[in-house]
Amino acid sequence: MTAPLLELEDVTKHYPVFKGLIRKKQVGAVRAVDGVSLQINPGETLAIVGESGCGKSTTARLAMRLIEPTAGSVRFEGRDITHLDRAAMRSMRRNMQIVFQDPYASLNPRMTVEELIAEPMLVHGEGTPASRRARVLELLRRVDLAPYHAARYPHEFSGGQRQRIGIARALALSPKLIVCDEPVSALDVSIQAQVVNLLKDLQKELGLAYLFISHGLAVVKHMADRVAVMYLGQVVELASKQDLYRNPRHPYTQALLAAAPEPDPTRREAWNVLGGDVPSPLNPPAGCRFHTRCPLVQERCRTDVPNLRSIGAGHSAACHFAETVPTFSHAAAAREESPSRRRRLALYEASRRQAN
Amino acid sequence: MSSVTQTLAKGQAESLPAPTTEDFIVRRPSVLRMLVSDVGACISLVLVVLVIAGAILAPWLAPSDPYGGDLANTLKAPGEMGLLGTDGQGRDMITRLLFGLRTTLLMGFASVVFGCALGGLVGFVAAYYTRVSGLLMRLMDVLLSFPAILFGLAIAAIFGPGLTAVIIALSIATVPLMARVVRGSAIVVLQQDYIESARSLGMSDARIIFKYLLPNCLSAIFVFVTLRFGQVILLGAALSFLGLGAQPPTAELGAMAADGRNFLFFAPHVSVLPSLVIFVVVLAFNVLGDALRDALDPKLRK
Repeated sequence: MTAPLLELEDVTKHYPVFKGLIRKKQVGAVRAVDGVSLQINPGETLAIVGESGCGKSTTARLAMRLIEPTAGSVRFEGRDITHLDRAAMRSMRRNMQIVFQDPYASLNPRMTVEELIAEPMLVHGEGTPASRRARVLELLRRVDLAPYHAARYPHEFSGGQRQRIGIARALALSPKLIVCDEPVSALDVSIQAQVVNLLKDLQKELGLAYLFISHGLAVVKHMADRVAVMYLGQVVELASKQDLYRNPRHPYTQALLAAAPEPDPTRREAWNVLGGDVPSPLNPPAGCRFHTRCPLVQERCRTDVPNLRSIGAGHSAACHFAETVPTFSHAAAAREESPSRRRRLALYEASRRQAN
Repeated sequence: MSSVTQTLAKGQAESLPAPTTEDFIVRRPSVLRMLVSDVGACISLVLVVLVIAGAILAPWLAPSDPYGGDLANTLKAPGEMGLLGTDGQGRDMITRLLFGLRTTLLMGFASVVFGCALGGLVGFVAAYYTRVSGLLMRLMDVLLSFPAILFGLAIAAIFGPGLTAVIIALSIATVPLMARVVRGSAIVVLQQDYIESARSLGMSDARIIFKYLLPNCLSAIFVFVTLRFGQVILLGAALSFLGLGAQPPTAELGAMAADGRNFLFFAPHVSVLPSLVIFVVVLAFNVLGDALRDALDPKLRK
């Protein structure tokens, strides 16, 4: 196996919470990301999925060192970047770029597309004005935009086009890694495919590695090589795409997969397996963090913290019972009739009889 | 039929050279053209140009000496002597107005430029470096708690009354207001993803502030600066009225309006004319400022 391109080791981000007006006392910490270790190999796509607030985006920003980790280290090509000084970090940044979720907020509205795409090169002192211009046109072509778009402002484009401008900007310095922070969640479904396919094509051509943050399981299934599932700031399962979708071993992953919308209306009742809300990261539950919502919770889960442990080739899960968790199957879940549906059907029958 | 169209289209595509960037450059109207296309902006632009030209060229345009009075011909009504009459010392009103405009504009520009530059700097620094924000903004609050007139009194007491004292006082009074406006809009802009994208490129703070923060705060700044310009002129007039500003015989529109108050019933033009000029100047600058803000925003440019 080749050396990993990016390595996160036990990366942690706690946001302190202060109380008191004058003498501020720290009363706790929001554990946004709590000991995440991940590796991304060159040319690979690692997806991070999870609910809102599980720390996916924070992890992405920690990987880019856009925010400073509370603990742990980030290594890029074997080099620890957590403590690099400003100048060294600056030159490091050309190797990793980011594409944001909201294409309406991520492009400076006062700059033309040409300025936007040329800016990374300008900032890193690359090329001459003429060569930068040539590269801008080349990049525009690469993301399926026309040369005349160069003179326009971001507000003159649609969401999908703007996202492609963002991608062109991220590509300008020929990075090795692109962090995609929910790059398609703000787009129409019809446009999502366009952007996702563009990202895939670019990866094939340029050998890019992606850290792909998403909550859309369908998109992840299409994009990813490996998938990390996060819950409350921790990775609960990490596996290759095939293993994860075919044989999820963590109850949370199973619940996530079961919650994915089913296009077949006759099978829709398998929904709503998971009740309740995500507990507060300010005060996460003891033991397994998922035990408050887990359908298979045991006594041990309330006290013992399960570690992320290997349960097969390239497959690891943080569950005490990862090996014995019943095999998940869409079909099995679908056939089982939920009590809520039976209740609703009975109500419907009763009201119909009354009407007659 | 369809095959004909196809071959036609094909032939055309082959015969046409590939379009270059230059073929598609969007011709955007210049800022000046934008201004001229709006009637209100157009009028205000002409007025502002006239006012500034009049102020600069006052020594050459003025028909007589601004300080030499003719005590035999005091308080002449407009038309009676000269085009706009004379004041209480028998000085020609046109001359006085031109020189007064010069002083007033200088005072207004100088205090707005100094005050807003310093206030803007404080505002941006306070928004960008959150560490010093508390300290800086509390300092601004302290400044804000003093009325501008009080600054005028204090500074006149230190330096002696005069134009310099007024400019210093009004600049200081402008700093905290500008700092608040700028910090407020800068904080909003700093939340945007494009700031994070700038950081992820490893941009310097200076570049982020001048390329990202400043241009995106421009609308708020423009509105504030033009409004403040009007306020400063009125405040300056008030200070002159209290005798803290430009000292006689220097012509200043506020002081002139104050001088005329004794003759308000039988020679109203002595007060009314400088007041009218102040009104027109302030209005013209405000309208122009609004139009300029729109013209400089790429989203509003058609």
